Amino acid sequence: MNNNLPAIQIDDLTVAYDYKPVLWDIDLVIPEGVLMAIVGPNGAGKSTLIKSILGIIKPIAGTVQVFGKPYKKQVDKVAYVPQKGSVDWDFPTTALDVVMMGTYGNLGWIKRPGQKEKKVSLEALEKVGMLEFKSRQISQLSGGQQQRIFLARALVQNAEIYLMDEPFQGVDATTEKAIINILKELRQAGKTLIVVHHDLQTVPEYFDWVTFLNVKGIASGPVMEIFNDDNLTKTYGINYKVAVNQ
Amino acid sequence: MTNAQIEIQLIAALVAVACALPGTFLVLRKMAMISDAISHAILPGIVLGFFITQDLNSPLLILLAALTGVITVVLVEFIQKTGLVKKDTAIGLVFPALFSIGVILISKNANDVHLDIDAVLLGELAFAPFDRLFISGTDMGPKSLWVIGTILLISVVLLFLFFKELKLSTFDKGLATTLGFSPVILHYGLMTVSSVTIVGAFDAVGAVLVVALIIAPAATAYLLTDDLKRMLLLSCLFGIIAAIAGYWMANILDASIAGSMTTVLGMLFLFVYLFSPKQGVLHGFFRERRQRVEVSLLIFLLHLQNHTEEEERHVNHLREHINWQKVRAKTVLELAAKNNLIHTSNQIISLTDKGQEFTDEALKYITTNKATAIEDLKERFFLFRG
Repeated sequence: MNNNLPAIQIDDLTVAYDYKPVLWDIDLVIPEGVLMAIVGPNGAGKSTLIKSILGIIKPIAGTVQVFGKPYKKQVDKVAYVPQKGSVDWDFPTTALDVVMMGTYGNLGWIKRPGQKEKKVSLEALEKVGMLEFKSRQISQLSGGQQQRIFLARALVQNAEIYLMDEPFQGVDATTEKAIINILKELRQAGKTLIVVHHDLQTVPEYFDWVTFLNVKGIASGPVMEIFNDDNLTKTYGINYKVAVNQ
Repeated sequence: MTNAQIEIQLIAALVAVACALPGTFLVLRKMAMISDAISHAILPGIVLGFFITQDLNSPLLILLAALTGVITVVLVEFIQKTGLVKKDTAIGLVFPALFSIGVILISKNANDVHLDIDAVLLGELAFAPFDRLFISGTDMGPKSLWVIGTILLISVVLLFLFFKELKLSTFDKGLATTLGFSPVILHYGLMTVSSVTIVGAFDAVGAVLVVALIIAPAATAYLLTDDLKRMLLLSCLFGIIAAIAGYWMANILDASIAGSMTTVLGMLFLFVYLFSPKQGVLHGFFRERRQRVEVSLLIFLLHLQNHTEEEERHVNHLREHINWQKVRAKTVLELAAKNNLIHTSNQIISLTDKGQEFTDEALKYITTNKATAIEDLKERFFLFRG
């Protein structure tokens, strides 16, 4: 969408919880149009990185720019898929209603969603294969179905950048395939996708860009070039052997 | 009914509805006990306000007391954020401290303050009609009716305007932040409305029982619906029922109105808790029992299908081969027979064609990880359920 500006540029980002640094001096440039995995061990700060890009967590130092401007000015260009466990699924509402929440950003304060918002939400539900569950109470959905609902909610935001926190956690193989197909479609449409990912085996198959993170930024670049034993060992601290499929 | 009786019921109903609206969101945000903290901690605010204004219904007193309520929330969150104590401990530390300041203020100045501890704890609705509002000599009705009416009107308008924002920030704070709806503003907005409502209701129902009016209607409604708007409406309805039924119960028993209202709320909750069609305890009990029987039945059918040898299918052997401890073998056998899934000859049990077909299909679903589809299968095959 912008000529030469990176989708996200992070400079000197440091985040701490109670004086304990969780992210330390991160410099990261994410070019537009990549499908990127963030990998790293537990406690590496992967979710924190995403949350600080979104301004949910305030960094103690450093800046984040989204297409050259602070996030606050680019709210409508970014969609967020939080971890499934971050919300209470017993909340009294339906699948369709949760998806419609994705349209609230464009509506702004006070204005209510109408027919137009309902229509795009139904389309998003159809896209993730959940149309038949639109009236289902959200606690009656399986884990994989809940993840699809979250993905549909991000789709209706019609953003340029999608940030996803472990979208494959606790979903079955079918849902994982369905989700990755949608992600690849989005990338083909020129969107930028940033995904916190755990399964190292699937990195070369799913993603074209990867960031290694362990409190500090270890490496970031095209999967073909930097997804190797050297970086894995630096990140995870033990000897890693992976077969990178070309 | 006399005018005073109608007025009392009207005030009680308005108080109940005014409490039920913020109460619904507090319950969904798992902050029910914050209302307990606010309702106690506003006492010093009320006493100080009374020293200044000498009028329990003055708007200044209400704002001052509500401010104490918000300060309570801030203090609780501050203590909690240090990470040294958990939230419920923080609540338990803050509100008794503030409440006792109020109690000391009252007892030290007992001669100047027309407040006594009984009224503070339990409120007194019966006297509400005596304190009336006069505008240029015309009787406009009880003051507390105007006070709680105004508070309710403000809540309803705010709820109408910010329903979407409240729903979003209650369900998913992270998304609310990223979409530019500040959850902090909404949180303190809700806390302010709750505080003002509690102060307004304080006069009528007191510090202890106001908590019931906030929590019980919402908790009862939560058991009955999957829709937030309906939950709000049901909460209000339960509040109104409790107000009117509570009034007449108090009338018959010659007892405290607030106490009776709360008792009705408790009974309403108990009734719904036991008999709610979807989530009630009794329904859950029967459903669980049925599932237990039906799972045993399925195990039994799979066993029959697996074993052609007769000794494995002998009635006397069943006990040893399948874990029947939880369900009596007789129940399962009868259910299988009633549904024409098995037939017995010479004490040897075999699957009927229908039983064979059912077992095959169920097995297919189990092995392909689609166990939920077995429920539909049962619908098709079973004449009787467990």
